[in-house]
Amino acid sequence: MSLESPESSQETFTHKVEFELNGSPERHSVPTSTTVLDLLRNSCSKQGVRASCERSVCGACTVLVDDLPVAACSTFAFDIDGARVETVEGLAAQDGTLSAQQQAFRECGGFQCGFCTSGMLMVTTALLRQNPQPDREEIRDWISSNTCRCTGYEMILESVERAAELAGAKQQDQAPE
Amino acid sequence: MNGIVIPFTPNDSPIVGRDRPRLDSTAKVTGRAIYTVDIEKPGMLHAKVLRSPHAHARILSIDASAARSLAGVTAVVTREEIHGLHSYGTYVKDQPIVATDAVRYVGDVVAAVAAVDERTAVAALDLIRVEYEPLPAVFDSTAALDLSAPAIFPDQPFAAYPEYGDGASGAAHTAHNVSYEFRYETGEESIWADCDYIFEDTFTFSRMNHMHLEPFATVAEATATEIEVWTSTQSPFPMRKELARVFGLAENDIRVNVPLLGGGFGAKNGPKTEAIAIRLSQLSDGRPVRYCMSTEEVFLTLSQHDAILTVKSGLKADGEFMARKSRVLLNGGAYADASPLVAEKAGYRMPGAYRWKRIDSVCQAVITNTVPAGAYRGFGATQATWASERQVDLIAERLGFDPLELRLKNAKELGEEFVPGETPIDSDLKLGLNLVADAIGYRDRPRSGNRGMGVAIGIKDGGGVNKPAQARVKVTTNGDVFLNCGLVEMGQGGHSALCQIVAETLACDPKRVKYAAIDTDNTPFDQGTNASSGIAVMGHAVLQAAERVRSSVLDMAAEHLLLDRQSIRLDNWHIVGADGTTYELPPLIMDRFGGTGFEFTADGYFKVRSSSSAPLEAPCMFWEIGWAAAEVDVDPETGRVEILQLVVSGDAGKVVNKLGCRGQDEGAAVFGLAQALFEELRYDDGELLNGEALLYRVPLAEDIPRRFSSITQEQGHGAGPFGTKGMGEGGMLPIAPAIAQAIADATGAQLTSLPMTPERVYNGIRAARARQGRAHRNA
Ligand code: FES
Ligand code: FES
Repeated sequence: MSLESPESSQETFTHKVEFELNGSPERHSVPTSTTVLDLLRNSCSKQGVRASCERSVCGACTVLVDDLPVAACSTFAFDIDGARVETVEGLAAQDGTLSAQQQAFRECGGFQCGFCTSGMLMVTTALLRQNPQPDREEIRDWISSNTCRCTGYEMILESVERAAELAGAKQQDQAPE
Repeated sequence: MNGIVIPFTPNDSPIVGRDRPRLDSTAKVTGRAIYTVDIEKPGMLHAKVLRSPHAHARILSIDASAARSLAGVTAVVTREEIHGLHSYGTYVKDQPIVATDAVRYVGDVVAAVAAVDERTAVAALDLIRVEYEPLPAVFDSTAALDLSAPAIFPDQPFAAYPEYGDGASGAAHTAHNVSYEFRYETGEESIWADCDYIFEDTFTFSRMNHMHLEPFATVAEATATEIEVWTSTQSPFPMRKELARVFGLAENDIRVNVPLLGGGFGAKNGPKTEAIAIRLSQLSDGRPVRYCMSTEEVFLTLSQHDAILTVKSGLKADGEFMARKSRVLLNGGAYADASPLVAEKAGYRMPGAYRWKRIDSVCQAVITNTVPAGAYRGFGATQATWASERQVDLIAERLGFDPLELRLKNAKELGEEFVPGETPIDSDLKLGLNLVADAIGYRDRPRSGNRGMGVAIGIKDGGGVNKPAQARVKVTTNGDVFLNCGLVEMGQGGHSALCQIVAETLACDPKRVKYAAIDTDNTPFDQGTNASSGIAVMGHAVLQAAERVRSSVLDMAAEHLLLDRQSIRLDNWHIVGADGTTYELPPLIMDRFGGTGFEFTADGYFKVRSSSSAPLEAPCMFWEIGWAAAEVDVDPETGRVEILQLVVSGDAGKVVNKLGCRGQDEGAAVFGLAQALFEELRYDDGELLNGEALLYRVPLAEDIPRRFSSITQEQGHGAGPFGTKGMGEGGMLPIAPAIAQAIADATGAQLTSLPMTPERVYNGIRAARARQGRAHRNA
């Protein structure tokens, strides 16, 4: 699991990458081989992005790029030039109020060690944007992209269902009379 | 599950047993949780290691000069740089920091480099020249025992092991390539003569990787005289002790800090990345060194034990169990690691949940040229339960008994002793078994098609042996509470549960209780987070500390307010008098101790008392039990097994945190499910074929049966605080045997090897048909 700073690299080819991260602009100059994971963890201090397999298998590193879940460990940083990137740090409101997904995982215990949680939350976010009322099968399909070694998944499935419920309720609250 | 009554303990407490979010939940859902992999120190260097390409080879020479002179490299460790340092291991101290005389498996560490970044470190590894002389290697445990097999340790490494109690014995190096052997015996040999039937069967158990998502990682800051590490360990104090031994330093010159763990499952018990990071830091002028393994390296570091288990059981014609003799071979891989302890448990747990008049059990941990095996969820009980439960089913089939009824007939009663000198069984085993059986409709299952059902019980002594636990609770003037103890949070929810116990005792809002960071300089002593000991063993120490703090607060208040000590109580950091009058504590404390305020503090301690009549030095704290029932549908053409229903149940004794309990049982059950059907480290002539995330198959959400549930029982007989028992391993034990019996029920295929792949199931079905054909012809 790498934690190197791009400055120390001996590579000469660099790329300018500009993107939006959790709503704020970012500009970086990175060597060709820098991954989105390296960039987010090391240069943007987003330690909530986890890394485990670094082989695009486990999904621990999942972030959203233009609303779609992407394995940050297996995406080159130059690929997100011009994109909208979201990490777990961007889910809660400015004042710290948890998002529906976060609240649901918290309430339903959708984690044990929590190492997969950032990735699971990002997959959930993407899913609920595509389909605010997914059924269990669809949830199962989506979260099958990510590995959780601890929970046995059932409580994660329930957390996602609950997130849909909470998000739905919030929308209703906000809907004009 | 209509009509099923789940045992539970009525709840009159405001905090314990409530379904409340865990303490670590906000940090974990916001990404702010700090694991060892997140630790960064100014000027931090990065380590990488060179691993052996040979399964077994003598090291003729190592030339690291080019690596040493590469720009950015600060230190290289080879066998030259570990002179005078000791090897590590549990009981058997056979693993050096880097290989010295020989490499003993593919992946054995030969050299390590620290550099300004990982890339430079990797480049330096390429410059290290090692000359090997390949030696013959041996990979499976039976072959390794043969005197013609190469001796993997020509000189026997140092070993120390316990004085066991009645009936048990253990010794290191008892046979060729055996690191440790455990024996247990009770009852009269003559009982065999009274048996009407004697059956002997052999079972094999496959090997898995822990695959905790957070890899092994350490950041070390060390000089020749002082060491500090931030590391992913389940056992901070044993780690400190082992590092002190390895590096020849005093324990108070070593400080171990433990952040959150991203999973452990037993893997994070002994040293992994620590010694290398420390040595590199020592050689780099004390600069911090981070050594974080990749997932591939984790695969090359530790695994579960595969096993060959031969079980001979004798019984009466009516199905009464009489005598059992077993021989278990565990494949311990190249270094002993925790193998002696696993051997002890696998051997001791062979009786299973049943009553026998005679037990004779031997378990050997064998050294082979494969990845070292060590502690793994279920700790020896997984292997023992597989063979033990499977044989019950084989016997049931042979004698025409229903497997459930045969179990109910022979299962021990609540309060019955496991073996002489041991703690009585503290769960109603039959009640739990009926519960899971009824939950899937076992008794009225349709006898048609390719569907079948099976049940199983797994049992293990819980709480560990020789585990002293200490805890400290302190409360500030304003009633904010710190809990200080060494229980590592690796996902199980232990921190939350212990804080709930404190909150309950001090009658305060759980939000006021904080679990203090663990560092061995300041945290009270503890023997490690394993053996499901957190809630039961540490729980007592925590409860005692909290009760003592409460008492000193009440003493102080009674004296100061001139109230009768017995008639006042604490509530939300107020004193409540007999007449209901409440007094705020902060002003009272300021009044008493002065304007700067005060902290009330107290320690708690717990340890199960040792006893020479207990086979394993001390009777166990509690029995951890897992019950499971499964329904499967098998495709006879392909051997594919679909799990239609899976129900797992554990007995928490008394629930402290519902979410935590459920997560532990379900998580464990899914480990068992994967081992039953597909997960395994595959070897071909010693070569590990799937030692990486892409090829190693762990369960995903899509693998979970559509009808999968857990039942947390609260039978209330636990010896932990409030009647609690530990959980987290029990749920793994019965899953594979329950599924195996469901397959047998569906198709007649009696499988004896894991995992039950379609190929094995298909072959099993063919074998069953051939058997039935023969039976028909003979009839
Ligand atoms: S770390 Fe990126 S998918 Fe596993
Ligand atoms: S909670 Fe540990 S990996 Fe999912």
